[in-house]
Amino acid sequence: MATHTQVNLPLPVLPETWSGEKDFKAIGKLSAATQRSIEPVGPHFLAHARRARHKRTFSEDDR
Amino acid sequence: MAAEGASANGTTPGERHAIGISFGNSNSSIAYTTNEDKAEVIANEDGDRQIPSILSYVDGEEYNGQQAKQQLIRNSKNTVAYFRDFLGQNFKSIDPTHCHASAHPKEHDGTIAFIIQDKEEGGPSVVTISEVATRQLKRLAQSASDFTGKQVNSAVITVPTNFSEKQKAALTKAANDAGLEVLQLISEPIASLLAYDARLEAKVADKIVVVADLGGTRSDVAVIASRGGMYTILATAHDYEYAGVQLDKVLQDHFAKEFIKWNTTDPRENARSLAKLKLEAEATKKALSIGTNANFSVESLAEGIDFASTINRLRYETIARKVFDGFNRLIEGVVKKAGLDVLEIDEVILSGGTSHTPKIASNMSAIFPPTTTILAPSTTPTAINPAELQARGAALQASLIQEYEKEDIEQSTHPAVTTVKHLTNAIGVMTITGDSDKGLFTPIIAAETAVPARRTIHIATPKEGGDVLIKIVEGGSHIKVSKPEPKTKTNGEKSKGEDGSDDSDEDDSDDGPEDVREKVWKVGNVLAEAAIKGVKKGGKIEVMINVAGDLAVTVTCREVGGKGGVRGNLAAP
Ligand SMILES: Nc1ncnc2c1ncn2[C@@H]1O[C@H](COP(=O)(O)OP(=O)(O)OP(=O)(O)O)[C@@H](O)[C@H]1O
Ligand SMILES: [Mg+2]
Repeated sequence: MATHTQVNLPLPVLPETWSGEKDFKAIGKLSAATQRSIEPVGPHFLAHARRARHKRTFSEDDR
Repeated sequence: MAAEGASANGTTPGERHAIGISFGNSNSSIAYTTNEDKAEVIANEDGDRQIPSILSYVDGEEYNGQQAKQQLIRNSKNTVAYFRDFLGQNFKSIDPTHCHASAHPKEHDGTIAFIIQDKEEGGPSVVTISEVATRQLKRLAQSASDFTGKQVNSAVITVPTNFSEKQKAALTKAANDAGLEVLQLISEPIASLLAYDARLEAKVADKIVVVADLGGTRSDVAVIASRGGMYTILATAHDYEYAGVQLDKVLQDHFAKEFIKWNTTDPRENARSLAKLKLEAEATKKALSIGTNANFSVESLAEGIDFASTINRLRYETIARKVFDGFNRLIEGVVKKAGLDVLEIDEVILSGGTSHTPKIASNMSAIFPPTTTILAPSTTPTAINPAELQARGAALQASLIQEYEKEDIEQSTHPAVTTVKHLTNAIGVMTITGDSDKGLFTPIIAAETAVPARRTIHIATPKEGGDVLIKIVEGGSHIKVSKPEPKTKTNGEKSKGEDGSDDSDEDDSDDGPEDVREKVWKVGNVLAEAAIKGVKKGGKIEVMINVAGDLAVTVTCREVGGKGGVRGNLAAP
């Protein structure tokens, strides 16, 4: 699972004037989402359902 | 046949022997999973893995599958075929077309029934659709029990995406009456997709998949967003006009006309001759999926005259073009219905018996861009037999859930768990291209991903390292259409086209080369910015985005292999 998508195009250089508290700046929020149904099939869904039923997050689930 | 202690509504998990069942109007298929978690399709006692969904009665004895199909010639009145879609329906809402040459469905006590001589003695019986389905499922369960050496008592069964709640309830009842606990009913296209995704070599990826299920009496297509192994159906379409039997009909008419040329009668006008013609047409059609030539031969086709002929694949593809065009339209239509472009489709899975046809797969290669993988036997040597996909998927799902208590399965499949928010836009990060200061959107989480979701990527930094900016944005994809650069030497080519010596292809080549269409990203909302300072030369940055069920976002960035890092939150909208 630990293989992540690799991106070869580089990140931009940080502008001199940039500042953010603890190096992070929250700017916007996500756009509204659509309600849809996921199909209750397959191993990944079962993992999702388990997290949902036990109200666990991804990282709690990883442990 | 007592179903050894299997109370239909909840066998205890330890006592389950579960299989996957695909139950179509034309064929059924059964599968189990091996100890290595591989799905295998089971052959019945006749050695068939595609078992015609047909029951026939001769002197009170029940025949099923291929043996029952042969009875369509001599014993059509006591043969029940093409009935799956009648389950849970009113007589008025069914289309009995395909039952012309077998027992006719009748209205009976608010349900549908067949009147057949199914016993040796006495008069004919009224057998309801529910009972017919039960008998079919019993035969399937028995074949699976004989094969596995264990009494099969539970199953995952596949159903079309447009099966109503009433139809599902009727199928569940029919299965229960056959001694089968229904662990779950799952969608046919999802079962096919699962069969592919369960292969060892398959990687979990974010992809848009079209599953085209081309069967005998119906064609069903679904567009599915597959996100981290979770599946969301974006659009579906169903067609009852173009399917496998229409291809049989093309060949049937072709050979009937040939017969008429040499003889005086039309074999289509006599029921028994027509039945023979149909069966042989289907066999010829299947042979044309493998060979470029096929025989057609029927003993005593009409008036005691034997008939034999051949056809080549090219001829077949020409006379069947209308049907193939029908499939193309259906598939192109559902992609549009999903609000997508063919350029956005990563995979096309051809499923169902008719998908063996090479022409259908080559049409897909023409409709979709080269970046789309077409999964069909004739285009991909490693493709799974399209007629086995659904049963395999069902068997895999059965092995995943057979240890669960009935209650847990019901809770997990409840809308409270399955209905969730899906992202409308992709979330990504801005990277730079070599030549300009303009950024380029690089997606991290795709649109149509169900939340909660988490994705991580690793991105390069400028050659010298140093301080970098991580700008997290939303992105929308759209299709950019542009005219290609006019070529200088089109003159010569054009005159060639005009004098008709070269009628290149079907589309009007007069108005020059085709538009260039490409998928491009449009940067939307800026969500957040983060800085990682003092990155070492050649360093990489890991960006993890976690979207919670309420759309709150957590962004975590750090240098790969480095300590610390930056973490920030965005409130739910
Ligand atoms: N090798 C082949 N080449 C071409 N067509 C084939 C081949 N094998 C099976 N078929 C056709 O596939 C069709 C049956 O498909 P399938 O087994 O998927 O049916 P089904 O789902 O039960 O059908 P229905 O649409 O009636 O519910 C038949 O028309 C059959 O002739
Ligand atoms: Mg089918």
